[in-house]
This record gives sequence, structure tokens and C-alpha cells, in this order.
Amino acid sequence: MAKNGNVRVLLGTRKGTYIVEGDAARRKWKVGPAAHEGSEVYHVVADPRKPGDLYAAVNNGFWGPMVQRSRNWGRTWQEVATPLTPIKKDRTPMFNDENPTAPVPRPLNNLWHIEPALADEPEALYLGADPHLLFRTSDRGASWEPIESINNHPGKKDWSPGAGGHCLHTILIDPRDSDRMYIGLSAVGTFRTEDGGKTWIPRNKGVMTPFLPDKYPETGQCVHHVAMDAGDPDTFYRQDHGGMYVSHDRMDHWTRIGKPLGDDFGFCVASPASAPGLAYFVRLDGMARVTGDGYFQVYEWNDKNRKWRKLLGPKDFPGHFGVQREGIATDNLRPHGIYVGTTTGQLFVSANGGNKWSQVPFQFPGIHSVSVANPE
Amino acid sequence: MLEVHLDSWLREFGPHGNEKMAADSVGHLIDALEQKYPRLRFKLRDETGALRRYVRVFVNGEDVSGTTGVATGLSGSETIDILHSIAGG
Repeated sequence: MAKNGNVRVLLGTRKGTYIVEGDAARRKWKVGPAAHEGSEVYHVVADPRKPGDLYAAVNNGFWGPMVQRSRNWGRTWQEVATPLTPIKKDRTPMFNDENPTAPVPRPLNNLWHIEPALADEPEALYLGADPHLLFRTSDRGASWEPIESINNHPGKKDWSPGAGGHCLHTILIDPRDSDRMYIGLSAVGTFRTEDGGKTWIPRNKGVMTPFLPDKYPETGQCVHHVAMDAGDPDTFYRQDHGGMYVSHDRMDHWTRIGKPLGDDFGFCVASPASAPGLAYFVRLDGMARVTGDGYFQVYEWNDKNRKWRKLLGPKDFPGHFGVQREGIATDNLRPHGIYVGTTTGQLFVSANGGNKWSQVPFQFPGIHSVSVANPE
Repeated sequence: MLEVHLDSWLREFGPHGNEKMAADSVGHLIDALEQKYPRLRFKLRDETGALRRYVRVFVNGEDVSGTTGVATGLSGSETIDILHSIAGG
């Protein structure tokens, strides 16, 4: 959304927010401004409906979680309202083995994902948080309303955390119908609503849970991230604890596609707006949680011919790299750009659909999230 | 009156110096501070009312954060220091 045709890559890191601006060719990069120094920033997103507006999910170890907004591409930021855990006397308890009927007050922990709503709701955004919470604002973050159908979901007493906590990390909205949305929760799985969030149904059929006695339960899948195909909003690409999957029917059924890769563990997935039918995964070693075999690995899934393409070899970027669930993003240019941020602070870029890669020459703090503000 | 000392970091959220306030407990003191400086809300305590992990409250030099915490009673003439631990990495 940069008027000069430049691309902005927005990074949430262990020590703050970074805006990285690249030219239209995505060869030259300028780092800055930086903000939220010292805070864990789990997600930064540009509002495509209002160029220049950015939102950040800031998790400060001292002062707790905060939503911050910039109106000028990150030059200055202001705290807006922070949603709160619905502490209610009759709230369904989460964990209290000694007295299962006693309510357990649990404060809002970390903020994980901010998703602008569609263009027909220009003031609305959604926010996913820990412990398994979903909020909506209708006034650009001045106030938040809890989505009680998730926050007090009757199944919640059985929802366990993943290693990252009880995070609600994926929020996807059908561009044809804003009442149809999808969310992903660790370690619960994916859900779909058809009525604007009044009711949610689990949609995890076919996704294996190798860590549970029941290998194909209705919920309990540790979904790591999901991307919607830009050309077909009924198609989704999923990186799950149990492997890489695709669904072609609004998540009603999932098919594992990652088996040809061997270990198809990972955290992130992205699908480019300008190249429907493609999805990008960073393959990790399932035990070590870093790229296996001693080098950085990105794989392209082509959903049209159902084939994988390996984009990088052992000589490109040797090492063991961690990449988190928001750690990959794509732009909407042709050819499309792919951006991957690592937990050790490297930002890898391909400006031509994965054929050639380079590294932005700047050492960032460990990167939690990568997103893109596309040129106008 | 209580004499309340806030560390320099907390001044980002409103108070620019020390405060004189009246309260009968640490919890009520924080209520009063939040009333006067709304941006302090949820910075010292989370929404369950518990002190955040790295917040330390000293009453006449004694750290009450891990003991009586927000329930600590006050007579009204104490010196209160509210600090953040040095932590991180």
C-alpha cells in the first residue's frame, strides 16, 4: 500500500516491531522505523482498507498485553483499548481438577493475531488471544467485544494448550461472505462459523493427532497455522503438528499432502494472492523444531498438479533455523514475493516466486511474525 | 496520607512524580491510581486483580507482593514504593 510502489514487510519480534521497506523490485531494503522496544510483538498487520494504519499485538513482560495502532506507517504508535478476559461468576471453568464446577479466573495472556475485517466493515477487526479468546472491535480498537460463542464455548473445559499456550492464532474471513469465518486454536483445531460467529463447528476431519490415543478426534488437533487460497476461498492449506494438509471444501475434510516430504512438521504456511493454487511451507525437524538436515528449507505445494517443489538446497543457507507460525508471508505482486523470518532474526526474501532467495542485510531480534503491506 | 513513589517506567502511563493518596489497602490504592491515571489500568494488575508478575509493592520498605499482596491493609501514613523488577533477556 505504499504509494511509491514499495513493499513494506512488517515484523513482530522478540524485542519490538520493525518496518522494512523494499523497492518494487524487492532488491533494496531499508530498515526502520522500529517501535515497541523490548516488548514481544506477536503480530503486526497493515489495514488494507486504510493505507498507513498498522496494528500490533504487543505483549510486554511487565505491563501485559496491549494493542497498539499507528496511523502513519509505524512512525508513531498509540495504545488503543486492550480486550479483557470475560471474568464471570458463571464462566465455564477451564482447569480445576479438585473442584471442577468452580470458576477459574484466568487473565488475558498474550495477544496473537489481529485480522482486519472485509472492506464492507471498514471499522471492524478481529483479535485472537490466549487463553483461547476471540474479540471483535467495530471502532478500530477503541473498544472490543468478546465473541462469547468461543470464549465460553461448552467444549472449552477439554481444551488444552500447546507449547505456545492457549493461543487463538488463525482468523480467516471468506471474502464472499463475512459471516463465514474460520479460526485456528492450539491445541484444539480449526472451527468454522456460517453465522458471523454466533455458532462454531469443529472442522478437523482427516487431521491426525499422533500425540493422542484417539488419532482422529473431532477436536484436539494442534493446528499451527492455516492459509486461505486467494483464488478459491473454499481451499485451505494447513500446517498442523501432525503434518501438512489441504482442504477443498471449506475445511469439511482435510487431506494430508506432506507425506512425500518425510517429516512434514512445521509451523507456518502462506498462499500468495497473485498465484492461487500455490502454498509455501517451511519444513522443520519435528523433534528439534528447526530446519532439518542442516539447511534452510522452503517447499512449494502446487495444488493444481498436486506436486511439491523444493526451493532451496543445502548450499543456499546452511544452518538450523526456527520459523514460527506467523513467520512466512507473501505479497500480491507478479511474480509474487515470499518472506520468511526466523527465530534467530534472519529475514529471507524471494522476489520471484521462490526461484531465487536473498537475505535482508540486517540482524533482527528473533522474529515472531512477518506480514506484508502491498503497494497500492 | 500515603506517600506513593512510582518508578520512572510507570510515568509513561500517567504519573509524572510522587503522589499523595488516601487508601486503606494496597488494592484500593491501585484503584485510586487507576482512577486518576486510566492508562495505568491493567499495567500493575491483570483483570483478575492479581499483581502482574514483575510488579513489586513495598510498604514502608517491605515487599508485600508475594505475601499479602493487594489485600495488604494500610493505616494511611505509610510510604509505598511501586517498582518493576529488572528482568528479561
